[in-house]
Amino acid sequence: MSRNLLRLALSNLRSRRTRSWLTILGVLIGVAAVTALISIGTGIQRAVLSQFEDIGYDIILIVPEGTGAAAGRLGGRLGQSGQTDGGSFSPEGIGQPGGTAAAEQLRDRLAAISSRAAVDVGVLLDDVPTLTEAGALGTQVASVRGASVTGYLRVTTPTQQFLDGFSSVLNGFAIAYGRSFIDLESNEAVLGSRAAERLGASVGSSIDVSGEAFEVVGILESSGANAARDADEGPSGQGLTREISSSGGMATAAFRGLSNTDDAVFVAGERAETLWPSAQSIDVTFARVESGVSVSETLDSIRVSLATQGASGNPVSIQQVADQIQGTLGMVESVLASIAAVALLVGGVGLMNTMYTAVLERRREIGTLKSIGATDGQVLVLFLIDSGLMGFIGGAIGLAIGAALSMLATRVLGPALGVAGFSPVFEVGLVAAVLGFSLVLGALSGSLPALRAARMNPVEALAEE
Amino acid sequence: MFELRDVHKIYRMGEVEVHALRGVDLEIAGDGMTAVSGQSGSGKSTLLHLIGCLDKPTAGEIRFEGERLSALSSRERALFRSSKIGFVFQKFNLIPGLTAEANVALPLLLRGVTPRVANEQAQTALAIVSLEERSDHRPAKLSGGEQQRVAIARALVGAPAALLADEPTGNLDTQTGRQIMGILCSLVEDGKTVVVVTHDIGIADSADQRVILRDGRIVEETGCVERSER
Repeated sequence: MSRNLLRLALSNLRSRRTRSWLTILGVLIGVAAVTALISIGTGIQRAVLSQFEDIGYDIILIVPEGTGAAAGRLGGRLGQSGQTDGGSFSPEGIGQPGGTAAAEQLRDRLAAISSRAAVDVGVLLDDVPTLTEAGALGTQVASVRGASVTGYLRVTTPTQQFLDGFSSVLNGFAIAYGRSFIDLESNEAVLGSRAAERLGASVGSSIDVSGEAFEVVGILESSGANAARDADEGPSGQGLTREISSSGGMATAAFRGLSNTDDAVFVAGERAETLWPSAQSIDVTFARVESGVSVSETLDSIRVSLATQGASGNPVSIQQVADQIQGTLGMVESVLASIAAVALLVGGVGLMNTMYTAVLERRREIGTLKSIGATDGQVLVLFLIDSGLMGFIGGAIGLAIGAALSMLATRVLGPALGVAGFSPVFEVGLVAAVLGFSLVLGALSGSLPALRAARMNPVEALAEE
Repeated sequence: MFELRDVHKIYRMGEVEVHALRGVDLEIAGDGMTAVSGQSGSGKSTLLHLIGCLDKPTAGEIRFEGERLSALSSRERALFRSSKIGFVFQKFNLIPGLTAEANVALPLLLRGVTPRVANEQAQTALAIVSLEERSDHRPAKLSGGEQQRVAIARALVGAPAALLADEPTGNLDTQTGRQIMGILCSLVEDGKTVVVVTHDIGIADSADQRVILRDGRIVEETGCVERSER
């Protein structure tokens, strides 16, 4: 019986092809928007969380107080290009007046931060026995001169302790060409892939950092960190971290900046300490918590140690940073999905309107169906199938278009918009929910018109001219 | 077959009441043609709708082979229409999106008959009205006479006890109308019960039983007793 009603409903859809497709289009647009936004949002969350998983949730960062925005800029615009207002890295951009002014401003801010007492890693490990290892990573803005260009760049100064225990923070510090630091007493530099390209430097060539000549001993593999960083900084997460004012927010900004290795110049921390003892640098300390030990208790112990040392800093666990980013991204995703859901709701209203019109137009047909033996229930089901089908078809096509759009957005438009480096995620739950919701939306939108059709008096319906 | 006792039907349109039938007593015997005629607004179609269970009387009683139709629920009336009655309308009332065969098969499909069986029986019904070769045409591609023949096939397909035709020739030219009446008469000869509402005096005169209505009352009734005796 239901199959027969389904056939009849299909024939109704076919006989009103244009209107049916226009109605389906309304549902389709809403579903496509919801699908694309949710899959992209989930993809961004997964990409960000996978970065944290690579580093490990047993790590605690100690970031100097007041670092937030400055650290974000270190990893972001300035670290990327040395220009004033972002844009692509170009040799021509380095050393331009605007870039210089921006760098000078940032250096002034760093001066205030770095003037505070730094963390003594040795004392920290002694004070907090639940820490298995610790290492510091400094970051400063310095004047860098390559073969043909000069400008301000981010100079990152990892200590050997840091590289031994926490290289995952720097995307594994994977060397593509040359080698890592060997002699911590000599002027050796390792360049990020894009920094090397833009400076026109290769292994064996010489660059000048803050007036000191350095030999380029290695060039890192391209990390893809740009994409992950940009995903945070791009349209979907624009300024997210700047909105976060807590210590976790500072850590987030600092962490995000450090994970961009492609645009940085690396000098061994030990050498940097010797060459630039009073440099205006942000030193972030990384520490690993012993397995099975309470991270929150360790954080308390670190705070006590910092107070004892008279050091400036806020200890934050990677888990806290990840939770914060995930929470913020989740909130943004929910807001966007809600906006898309409004489009879906409008599609549902359109569907209801179409069904009401159909009931009015098909009064005689309803009367005929009743005269040949259709029960009220069958008429109701017929119209529900009709609207449910339109919802389902709209949902299925919308799902496919939403998937295509999210692929297109991430693969083609993503790099241009700064949201590349991740894939949209289509979970079975999302697909099932979208299809199920479309079917229910269709049926619900059609329920009142269907009820009206079912209750129609056959004699009055047949009298319709 | 049908017994009507003091049947009244009042339509209420806001505060206005229209008495379509006023105390109608009537017996319609089976196996023959009954013609119901009268002027417009005399209550002919209302009478047909009531005995076809499309509507309920405001007062009085209608029985079909002893069963009280006025006591049936909405669902039971639908099942009654599905199994006992075949309707033929003046405006054919075919579903435009369906082919002739699908239109004819529809009552069976609503009963839950499988599509294969329903289509086979639809072909048989279309053969009775000589339209089996037009079975895959949609109504828009058929002439008025052909559409009415499809409507008759649809009314016949469920093997109903009675065929109720409301002005079946009203939208057709004289010659086509005669063809349609010829089909209905041949059905009567095959033992079907046909109740036809008509303005056409010729059709009314040729019926076994003739009922004339005026202002909701039967003013003349002939033929029922003779047919019962026959």
